[in-house]
Amino acid sequence: MNFELTADQALLLQSFESFLERGSVPSGAHGYVAYSSALQDELGESGFLDVAAQEGFGPLEAAILAERAARSAVSFEFAASALLGPLLAPRGAAGAPTALLWSRTAPARFLSHAKTACLFDGADVLVAAVAPSQVEPADSVAAYPMGRLKTVPKDARRIAGAEADALRRRALVAVAAEAAGLMRGALDQTIDYVKERTQFGQPLARFQAIQHRLAEDATLIRAARLLALRAAFTDLEDDAATACFYAQQTMRKVIHDCHQFSGAMGLTLEYPLHLWTYRLKVLQGEAGGRAEQARRAAAAVWPRRDAESWRRRAEAV
Amino acid sequence: MDFAWSSEHAALRERTRRFLEAHLPADWESVASQSPGSDAVTRFSKAFCPKLDAAGLFAPHWPKEHGGEGASAWTPFLVGEEMWAAGEPRGPQYYNVNWLGPTLMKYGTEAQKAHHLGRMRAGDVVWCQGFSEPSGGSDLAALRTRAERRGDHYVVNGSKIWTSYARQAEYCFLLARARPEGRAISVFLLPMSREGITVRPIDSVVGDGDLHEVFFDNVAARDDELLGAEGEGWEIVRYALNFERVGIPRYALALKTLHRAVAHLEAGGAFGETAAQAAVAAYAACEAARLLVYEVVDERSRNAPSTGATSMARIAVVAAEREVADFVLDWTPELFTAPTHPMVATHHKRAIAAGLAAGAAEIQLNLIARDVLGLAGRP
Repeated sequence: MNFELTADQALLLQSFESFLERGSVPSGAHGYVAYSSALQDELGESGFLDVAAQEGFGPLEAAILAERAARSAVSFEFAASALLGPLLAPRGAAGAPTALLWSRTAPARFLSHAKTACLFDGADVLVAAVAPSQVEPADSVAAYPMGRLKTVPKDARRIAGAEADALRRRALVAVAAEAAGLMRGALDQTIDYVKERTQFGQPLARFQAIQHRLAEDATLIRAARLLALRAAFTDLEDDAATACFYAQQTMRKVIHDCHQFSGAMGLTLEYPLHLWTYRLKVLQGEAGGRAEQARRAAAAVWPRRDAESWRRRAEAV
Repeated sequence: MDFAWSSEHAALRERTRRFLEAHLPADWESVASQSPGSDAVTRFSKAFCPKLDAAGLFAPHWPKEHGGEGASAWTPFLVGEEMWAAGEPRGPQYYNVNWLGPTLMKYGTEAQKAHHLGRMRAGDVVWCQGFSEPSGGSDLAALRTRAERRGDHYVVNGSKIWTSYARQAEYCFLLARARPEGRAISVFLLPMSREGITVRPIDSVVGDGDLHEVFFDNVAARDDELLGAEGEGWEIVRYALNFERVGIPRYALALKTLHRAVAHLEAGGAFGETAAQAAVAAYAACEAARLLVYEVVDERSRNAPSTGATSMARIAVVAAEREVADFVLDWTPELFTAPTHPMVATHHKRAIAAGLAAGAAEIQLNLIARDVLGLAGRP
C-alpha cells in the first residue's frame, strides 16, 4: 500500500500534463461542448492512450491519467480508450477513440468521433469498428459530443463470459476515474469563483456555510479518485462497482453545490462550469446509474451463499 | 502508487487475527459491549496487553530503544484495525501506544520516558486526557484550568469535563495555563492519586466509564511533571492530536457491523433490492474512509508533509460511522436487543461519539477550507 506516485508514474503524469498544456486547446470561447478533435488526434499519436499496455505500467496508470484528463475544460476521449483499449485490440477493435455504449439506441459520448464502439449488451459486449457515416448526431444537454448508432454494425464481434466481465469492470473504472476528474475540475472552478465574488461585503469564500460544503465536496472527490484508482489496480468486481457507485452518488452533491455557489454565472456559457457539470450529468446515468452499481457491488460483496459462509464473511472483516 | 499489501503486512494482519482468536474468550463480545472505560474492559485490557506485547503486537512501531521494533507507521494501523473490529480488547490502553507514548518520546525528559514508557509497555497503566473543560471543548484555546507557580512547584486549580477513563486512570495528560496572560498552555503528567483531584462520573448514553468531570483543587504539580517546556503545550497537543484524529480505524467495526446486519437480513430472506442499495451506500462510505485514512498513514510512514488528508479522513470516517449506524437502525433494529449480537448496540454508541471525540468534526471542515482549499484568506 503506497499512495505516493513512483518516479515513473510521476514522470508519466508530468509529461501528460505538459502534453495537455501545449495541446490544441481552443482558446477563449469554448462554446457548449469544447470538444477538440485536433487534441484527440494528437493524443492518438502521443502514445498516452497505450499507457496500460506499456511495460511497467497498467490500468492504474491509465486511470491516473484518465482522472487528470477529465479535469481539463476541453473535452477529448481518454478513459475508455486507455482502459479498455488493450483488452479490445485483439477483439476486432479499430483503435482509439473508443466510445462506450450502454444501450443500442441511446446517445453515447464521443460516438460521432469514435473508431471503436464498445456496446454493453446485457451480459455480453459487442465490439465494432465505426465510421462517422454510421452515426447520427444527437441533440443533448451534455457537454460532450453525443451520437447514436443508426444500426448496430453487422460485423460487430460478440464477447461473452469472463472477457465481457473484464471489459465491464474496466468500463466502470473508466467512468469512475473520469467522474472523479470532472468533479475536481468543477470544484477548482468554483473555488476560484467564490474567492473572487463578493456579496454582503466579503468574498463568498469567507462564508462558513459555503466553506463547509466545499470542504465536504473536496473530501468526497478525493475519496472518489482513490476508489477509482484502487479499482483500476485490483481489477475486482466489488471495487469497480463500489468506485462507480461512489462517484455517481457523490456527483449529485458536487454538481449541486458548484452550481449553487457559482450563482447565475454558472448558468452562462462564458463561465465554463457546465463543461464539467454537464459532462458529469451524463456519467450519472451511465452503466445503469448508481442503482445498477449497487446491485453489482452488493452481489460481489455479499454473494448469496449458505449461512456458514455469511458468518465467515462477517468474521473476516 | 500501488494498492497491494506487502507480504510482511499481510502476514502481520494474519498474525493479529490468529492472536485474537487464541486470546479472546468465548464471551468476549459481551465484555467488549461495555465501554472501554468500564471495570470489566479495563481489567481485561490489563491482562491482555502484556500478552499482546509478548507477541510483539502491542508497540512494534516504537523505536528499538523503547522496546519496539521500529516498524513502520502501517504496523499499528493494521493491528489497530483488527483490534477495533474485535471490540478493542486493549481498552483505554490503545492510545498509550498510539499517541501518548510517541508524544512522550518526542517531548519527554529522559526520566519521564524511562518511567512512563516502561509502564505503558508493561500494559497495565490507564491514562486519561485532561483536555475539554466546561468553558472549552472543541475550542480548546478557551481552557481555564490554571497551573500557578508557587515556589518550587505548580498549584493546579480548575476542572475538566467529558474526560474518558478518568475513574480508572492512574495518570492524567493535563492541559493547563501556567501563565495567566496570552494563549500559552502547558502539559502536565499528573498522577490521579494526587491530593485534591476529585473524579465524578457522568451518566451517559455511550456507556459506563466514558464520561467524567475531574476537579483540581489546589493540586500540587512538580517541575518534573511538566512535559516539554512551560508554554509549549500547543505544539505538543498538535503533535498528539495529529495521531489521534485518525487514531481509531472506526470503519473496521462499522464494516463488521454492516456485514453482520446484511448476514442477518440474508438469513431471514430479507436482503432485497432496496436494502442492498442502502447497504452498498454504507459499504462505499466505509471504503472511502478507509482509503483516506490509509493516505494519512502512508504520509506518516514516509514522514511526508501533511496534505490535509488527516482532516478529510476524519470527515469521511464520521460519515461512514453514521451510514452504518443508520443502516442498522433502518433495516435490522431487532439486532439492538439480540443477545447474539452485543456489539451492534456497542457500535451504535461508539458511532455517536465519532464526530465529537478529539474535537467536533466541523473543526476539520474549517481546517480543510482554510488549509487545503485556501478559502479563509484574503482574496
